[in-house]
Amino acid sequence: MDFLNNYIYYIGAFGLFFIGLYTMLIKKNLIKIIIGLTLLDSGIYLFFVAVGYLHKGTAPIISGHSPASEKMVDPVPQALILTAIVIGVSILALALSLAVKLYQHYHTLNIKNIKELKW
Amino acid sequence: MRKIISILLLFILTAGFTLCLLDIPFGEQKTKVGNYYINNGARETGAANIVTSVVVNYRGFDTLGEITILFTAAIGLAAVLGHPKKNKDPQPKEPASLIVYTGYRILFPFMLLFGAYIFIHGHLTPGGGFQGGAVIASAFILMYMSSKDKKINPTAVKIIESLAGLTFVGTAAAALTLGRPFLSNFMPKGEFMTLLSAGIIPVIYIAVGFKVGAEFSGIIHDLTGGN
Amino acid sequence: MVNPVLLIAVPLASAFLIPIAGLLSKKFEKIIPIAAMLFNFIISLMLVFPVLEKPVQVYIGGFSPPFCINLFAGPVAIFFSILISLVGLLISIYAASYIKKGATEKYHILYLLLLTGATGVVLTGDIFNLFVFFEILCISSYALVAYTNDKAGIEAAVKYLIQGALGSSLILLGIGFLYGKYGTLNMAHIAASINTITAASDFIPLVLLITGFGIEAAIFPLNAWLPDAHSSAPSTISAILSAIAIEVGLYAVLRIIFTLFGASSMLLFFTFLGLTTLLIGEMCAFTQTNIKRMLAYSSIGQIGLILFAFAMGTAHSITGGFFQLLSHTLGKALLFLSAGYMIYRSGSMHISSLQGQAQKMPYTAFAFTIGAFSLVGLPPFIGFPGKFMIIKAAMFKYEMLFTILAILVLTATIIEGVYFFKVVQALYFKGDDTATPKQRAPLIVLIPLFLFVLLIIGIGIYPKYIIKILNTTGKEFINRFDYIRGIIR
Repeated sequence: MDFLNNYIYYIGAFGLFFIGLYTMLIKKNLIKIIIGLTLLDSGIYLFFVAVGYLHKGTAPIISGHSPASEKMVDPVPQALILTAIVIGVSILALALSLAVKLYQHYHTLNIKNIKELKW
Repeated sequence: MRKIISILLLFILTAGFTLCLLDIPFGEQKTKVGNYYINNGARETGAANIVTSVVVNYRGFDTLGEITILFTAAIGLAAVLGHPKKNKDPQPKEPASLIVYTGYRILFPFMLLFGAYIFIHGHLTPGGGFQGGAVIASAFILMYMSSKDKKINPTAVKIIESLAGLTFVGTAAAALTLGRPFLSNFMPKGEFMTLLSAGIIPVIYIAVGFKVGAEFSGIIHDLTGGN
Repeated sequence: MVNPVLLIAVPLASAFLIPIAGLLSKKFEKIIPIAAMLFNFIISLMLVFPVLEKPVQVYIGGFSPPFCINLFAGPVAIFFSILISLVGLLISIYAASYIKKGATEKYHILYLLLLTGATGVVLTGDIFNLFVFFEILCISSYALVAYTNDKAGIEAAVKYLIQGALGSSLILLGIGFLYGKYGTLNMAHIAASINTITAASDFIPLVLLITGFGIEAAIFPLNAWLPDAHSSAPSTISAILSAIAIEVGLYAVLRIIFTLFGASSMLLFFTFLGLTTLLIGEMCAFTQTNIKRMLAYSSIGQIGLILFAFAMGTAHSITGGFFQLLSHTLGKALLFLSAGYMIYRSGSMHISSLQGQAQKMPYTAFAFTIGAFSLVGLPPFIGFPGKFMIIKAAMFKYEMLFTILAILVLTATIIEGVYFFKVVQALYFKGDDTATPKQRAPLIVLIPLFLFVLLIIGIGIYPKYIIKILNTTGKEFINRFDYIRGIIR
């Protein structure tokens, strides 16, 4: 039980990662593939933040309630994930705009039918 | 067939990641740089929010790259969606219901105010430029959802984006003209835990807040069909 | 002494300036990229001599290394920076007249940001910063491949984006594992803590990072996106992608293998991977009838050859690898630019439609011929010393295995010669004897082609000076501990 208490965050984060990866590999609809990419990214963000956690630590913000002597969690993964979330959103926006244009040209989103460029 | 190979790949990855995770214990102290930031961050940068001091001052170059990526994605999306094809059978747009329209009229100024509060107080409370910009953009999404006539002005969005980006790079480069390293905190640090403190951090975060809000609004404008 | 941070800050500020300047006058959007790349080129040249003695370091923010991001301008970084700014400058002069339709302002902004991202990747010394600048490079290239908005372009861009985004997520996961184990993000600090890669928690991040960066570098199983993307993009974009983007991806892979992990035990595996990429690239190029697709497969092959050269690990082979990288950049850019204008005039990308173009556009066809001969490796051009050094380094290993590999490299070169000769023959000898009127390409297009030809012939005739500089460059990858000691005091 103690094992589960400690590692539940890793299991959750990688569970999301694997669901996203499976979706990207198996599904045929382009929107579902893009959703799978978003799930995969969410799993990685959760894993990153879980790496920085400290037992019984509090948020790294100095205020009246938590003076500077409190034990604080690692601020670096949180800063990295801010950047990574913005990168993920940018890729998602570009992917969705390309999906809109693809539908206008081909009138289908099934990747099995989009094979104009071959060998 | 494809499913079997994928599931096999996932099993191999699970095994690999489990072996790797055994060396990363949960909740233990494992960082060399994090302690330095916690102990010295408030003193060296003057910001009470240590994550902000890491994002803007210690790792400010990553933030510069991040706003560049958002700028690139907005420009790329505008370039891809810029030629709207004439719809053969345009669907008639239903007007929004009275509840949505009234809700928009009441909530819109408060959402803008809340977003501005988040990015102006980025160095004191949780939040910052990106979070505040996203809240401002959600106010504009509400505007697009509730009325078909109100649109934002794309030229104004373009000018705000460029000026905010130039402010960030200019503030960082201004340190060079004073003989200090790029992106160092050259403005006076003021009194700890007040609004006018922490040197260049509020300046940069305000620029980032405007830029992110303008960019997300521009993306929404392009995705809902442009002019 | 110039501050290397200007190499990134000035193009970035120029890219933010283009929308405002575009409101004043349309001409500014073409002049600003040319001016920014000219500035970068001059600054990089000014940094060559100081850097060859001692690498220049910049601490962003004023704190000391693991607590800040540092830029490490060593010989490798300045070599790549000169290459990026020179090729970017020449292609942007060509593009000033080639890109006419569509939202041209957005093209120039994205182009300048692609070059900024590439310069940032080679200059940085921090692994998360490497990821951020790599993403700038990738996202601008996804948007630029889709620039023409036709069926082929959008499909190629979708395939490229999905595979590239998956690669980026794998890189982020690898960085997460490394941070969890070592607690720092500075490449020199991580390298100081890694001695062998036998532990699973060192091996898995290595695999994740190489897979992620390898998708952009187009190494064998991960290059399915390249033929579509490079053939469906406008010709200036194909040129900058083939010449700069995949080389910078390969730089990231090499930095991970050599400096970060010191994975000398895996170098034999990479030799085989490079050779497989080379053979598959050349064999697929042989069967193509679409000229841009043929050039794209040839790019895959050349990247395989460069990876093969670096993975052999000796000082001679690494110098040969750098020289081959220089020759591929100049040659492939020249080929795409000249082929691009011929395609624009004749209207189709089929090799058979290029027949007799030498009569209509003599200078352009001559430039294409020079580029083709240089890439194959014929003597007075820049391609020859590179391939010669690589094969000599393989023979000097005095093992049966490497002699066989050298013979396979020569086979690939012969295949390359055959298909390029087919195209050159089609250019100069027409089927029927009708005389076609001359219709030269405009001067602004011919100037960059002429400068590329000059560089190819000039460096090819007198390579000794460049080889001496590249010897010092190669030492940065071989001497891992000098790099670490240079950053950690």
